[in-house]
Parts: sequence; C-alpha cells; structure tokens
Amino acid sequence: MTATPTYSLRRRLVWLLTSSVAAIWLLTSLVVYQRAHHEADELLDSQLTQVAETLLAIVAGGEVDHFVKELHENARRYPVPITFEVWRTHDGATERLVTSPGHSELETGTTLGFSEHPHQGTSWRFYAAQDNEAEYRVVVGQAHATREKLAREIGLSLLMPAALALPLMALAVWWVVGRTLRPVDVVARQVGALDAQALAPLDESGPLPDEIAPLRTALNALVRRVTEAFDNERRFTADAAHELRTPLAALKVQAQVALRSQTADSRQRALMQVMAGVDRMTHLVEQLLTLARVDPANQASPPPPLNPADIIAAVCAESLPQAQLQKQSVTVDGGPGCTVAVSATWLQIALRNLVDNALRYAGEGAHIQVRLAPSGAGCSITVADDGPGVAPALRAQLSARFVRGEVEDEGCGLGLSIVARIAALSHAQLELGDGLPRADGGHGFAATLHFSEAPGQA
Amino acid sequence: MRILLVEDDRLLGDGLQAGLTQAGYAVDWLRDGEAAVAALSTESFAAVVLDLGLPKRDGWSVLQWLRGRHDATPVLILTARDQLEDKVRGLDLGADDYVLKPFDLDEIAARLRALVRRAHGRPEPVITVGEIELNPAARTVKRAGQPVELTPREFDLLHLLLQNADRVLTRRVLEEQLYTWNDAVDSNALEVHIHHLRRKLGNELIRTVRGVGYTASAASSLS
Repeated sequence: MTATPTYSLRRRLVWLLTSSVAAIWLLTSLVVYQRAHHEADELLDSQLTQVAETLLAIVAGGEVDHFVKELHENARRYPVPITFEVWRTHDGATERLVTSPGHSELETGTTLGFSEHPHQGTSWRFYAAQDNEAEYRVVVGQAHATREKLAREIGLSLLMPAALALPLMALAVWWVVGRTLRPVDVVARQVGALDAQALAPLDESGPLPDEIAPLRTALNALVRRVTEAFDNERRFTADAAHELRTPLAALKVQAQVALRSQTADSRQRALMQVMAGVDRMTHLVEQLLTLARVDPANQASPPPPLNPADIIAAVCAESLPQAQLQKQSVTVDGGPGCTVAVSATWLQIALRNLVDNALRYAGEGAHIQVRLAPSGAGCSITVADDGPGVAPALRAQLSARFVRGEVEDEGCGLGLSIVARIAALSHAQLELGDGLPRADGGHGFAATLHFSEAPGQA
Repeated sequence: MRILLVEDDRLLGDGLQAGLTQAGYAVDWLRDGEAAVAALSTESFAAVVLDLGLPKRDGWSVLQWLRGRHDATPVLILTARDQLEDKVRGLDLGADDYVLKPFDLDEIAARLRALVRRAHGRPEPVITVGEIELNPAARTVKRAGQPVELTPREFDLLHLLLQNADRVLTRRVLEEQLYTWNDAVDSNALEVHIHHLRRKLGNELIRTVRGVGYTASAASSLS
C-alpha cells in the first residue's frame, strides 16, 4: 500500500471551527476592551469632577483648615491616587490654599474643565472648577498611568472568562464533530466488511444523514453493477463449460462405441457420429472465437461509412451452395443506396450469422430474403424467412448466449449473441420479428439490424 | 435391464444409447423433460440417466417431480456444470449419483450397476442364488463354478429374475424391463428365453406361476 496523503475530517473541522471562533473572539475582545476602556475613562472623569465639586464646596464653606488637617492625617495611611490644589482669588490677589500631600505645585490652574498636562514627568489629566463668585478655584488631577491600569483591569476582567471558555469550546467542538461524523465511520466499517468474493449491498435499513446517504446509494448501485457483471461472467463460464463438455462427452462416448462395435456397420455409424461431433465442435469453437474477436479494441475508430449492398451480395453468394443442398432460395432486395458506419468485417460476421441461422432453422425448401432499406437517416438490413418462425415470447431470449430455438438442431446458440454484440458496439438495434408469410397463413422469422446514420454524413 | 436416458444432445444421446446397449442395457432415449415425465408416469425403469439442461422441462424439475410421487427409481445425473452447489442441489433433490461430462462409458455402466444393486438392497456385486452365480459387471454366469454361455437377452432375463429372487415377476414387468419401445417383441419370445435358460441352467431354478409369471429361487432346486 502506498501512503496516499490523507487527512482527518474531524481534525480539520475542529481546527477550522476553533480557529475561526478564536479569530472572531479576538476581534470581539478588542472591541470589548475598547468599550471597557472608554467606560472607565468616563467613570474616572466623573469621579474627578465630583472630587473637584466636593472640594470646592468644602473650601467655600470655610472648612479648609479642618479639611487640610484631616487630609494630611489620612494621606499618611492611605495614598490617594488623586492630586489637587485649591486657589483663592481675593481682591485681585491669587493665593494657593491647599496642595495635596506629596505633590509639588501644579503648573496649571487657568483653564476650567478637563485638560491634559505633563506633571512630575508623566502625563496627567486635570479638571478645574471654580465657584460662582470666581473666588475659589479647585484643580484635581490623576496620572494617566493609573487610569490606564484601572481601565485595563476592567477590560481584562471582562475577557478572562471568555479566554477560559475557548479550550472548553474546542473540546465541545471535538465531541460534536465526532458524534456528527459517526455515520461515516459506520459506512466505512460496512464497506470494509464487504467480501470481494460475495459482494452484497450495504444494509440500507439504518438511517443516514442526507449528506452521506447518496454515498451509500451510489456504493450500492456500484455493488449491484459489479455483481451483475460478475454473475454474467460466471454464467458465461458455466454455460461455455456446458457447451464444450457436452460435445466432448458425445465424442468420447461415440469413440468408445466405435471401439467396442462388433460389426463393421455399427462401427462405421459411430465413426460418422464422431466426425459430425468434430464438425460441431469446430463450429462452436469458431463461434466462440468470433464472439471474443468482436471486441471494441479491435475496431478501427471510427469506421468509415460504407454501403452494405456489396457485403450483402457477398454473404448471400457464400450461402448459395448450402441453400441449394437444402433446396432453399436466397434473394436480395436492395433498396436505394444508403450508408452505415460499421466495420466491414463486423457487418460481414453479423450478416453471415443471420443468413446462416435462416438456412439452419427455416427448413428445407424455405425462401430467405435479405432486404436493404433506408430507415430514417440510416439503413436497416432484414434477413427474413418463411420457415416455422419463433414464438414472440421466446424471441427475447434468443440473443442470449447458448440459447437455441425450440428446434431439433446442432447449432451452438451463439449466432444471435454475436449479432447482438456487434449491434450494441455499432450503435445499431437488433429487432426480432415476424418474417415472410407462409402458405398456411403463419409467418417465418425475421431479424432486422437498424443502423443509425453514419456519423460525419449529416 | 431397462434404462431411461433423458438427454437433449443428439450426438451424446445417440452415443449413450449405443454404448449402454452394448453394455447390455435396454435403453429408451428421450430428448426433453416433458416426454421423460410422461414416460416415467406410465412405465417402470431400472434406472434413469438424466441430463440437467433439457428443453421444455429441466432435469431438476423432472427429478423433483419423480421424488414428489415417491418413486425410488435410481437416478444418475449427467451434467456439464462442475459447481459444487449444483452437485449438492442435485443430490439433495434426490439424485443417487452424479457424473460430470465428459465421462467414460464404462464409468456410466458401472455406476448404473451399482445404483441398481443398491436399489435392490444388495451390497455384494455378484448375485448368488443356489448354485447359480451371476456377475452383472462382467456379464458372466456360472453354474456350480462352471461358466455358462448365455445370449444378452437371456442374461438380462436371468439377471432380472435373480435380482428379484423368491418374488413372482409378471410377464408384463419382465417385458417392460427387457424391451425398449423400439424392440419388436414376439408374443412368445419370453417363453423361448425361459426355455433356453432352463435348458442351460436346469429346470429347478425358474418356476412358472401359472397365469401370473415366473419366479427364481434356490429352494426350488431342493424341493
């Protein structure tokens, strides 16, 4: 076994599903993170505003000294992430009232509202507010780094569970895909269990998904076709065995009879039978070889179109000595010229078999007519006789191998099989029907080959 | 001994008929299954040689019909098909033996002798009644150890009588078993053969049962 590159549908599905989900997850994560960051910013801004307003209220209420004292007490215990300054403008003079502990003086203070400034070497965000009389002014600030850290933490805390869910989801996908693909395994096992010697269609009772059912249907159709071809071959072998062994048995028995005959007469008779047996075997072997030779591989493709009239004339001329022996007459009824696309050799074989059949089965004194007529765009060639004919029910079986008509005859039952095979390979139809009218009102037998138009003549 | 041969092949049937006749059988030859059924339903044969591929009614069907009416006539099947399932099917349907074509005439004759012998419940090939010994294979007869010359017809008649020793065989049964349809039977031919047999083998062996037929027995030589 050569290692053809294979891949697991399951692995591929799991991989594709997980990676596309992960990509979508990454994209949504980015958006979530952005949103979280933005929300955190707004939250912190409103916090800054609140602190500024509160400070302003405290300062305006004259509680500055107490507040500052408290502030310094607290600052030693809890570092506050916010810095601030309070200014007072009184009688045109501006003085700084309070500065948050641990911070040098802020360089800002003029613009009201939010602003960004560097402070202590890093980037800060400030908010400035003043009371209605513009006496007190408060500036609060927060380091960007602090804000960033907070926003990031919020964002990440939102993403964390999703990140944990990703491997869980991959596991779930693995399981679901495996479960869904189980029918494939089932079919694979059934196909694996097929016995090449006794092919049987897969069991069609189990339910299969719509995607896999056609595979099983197609497989079963294939199995049936192969089985049929196989049976056909086996039947042919069995039939050929029968057809070859019976004349061989006859030859042997007749030879033994000849050897034991006490009288010259009976010995002579048995030897004549041996001769007849050899002739029959020869005919059978020739017909078998002909059948084997009618093979598409031996045909020049495509055969050049030809006028069958010459071949018909030649085949009929060949048959005349035999016909005269049996007091039969053979006539040719050639219509207007037409062409067929069939190998000349094959046409000759087919016609020879049809005429031979007619000579064989039509009986002594019969009339045999070979008719050539244009039919549609092509030609039809009919070999008809006024012999006993063949019952319509039996006609269908006649072209099967080794089937003879219900007549006393030494034919080998291959003639019409050969004609049928040539017809099939030449895209012609073989039709078996009523032949020439007999004196008693019945009809003889007729075989017609309908050739469609020779290609290239259109 | 009368054999029914059912074989559609003209050459083989002709050869078998000639060969088995040479071997001492009275052979009736039919070429299709319908005719075989018709013959078997009215007449009795010592054995049937049956081809399987027959026109009108195949060998399987004839065999099935025969066994269906509890007819135990031994059947030897001739076939060209060597598939095991065919053999098994034939034997299961009640065939007694099975010969694959092409075969040897001697083999067919020997198998037929064995079939007939077994049908009469005799395991030994040589029939002995009193001082008479009959060898069906060699077609020889001895009286007290001394060879006796018999014509084929006399031999067949003696064979029939010894085979059914101590039983009375009617004229009709004897004639049916001795002659084929093609044989022109003289009305007193049987008496003539019996007369010759008595002359060659002694008067005691074959007894006439008046108005019924004949019987052979060893006891008669003592009485």
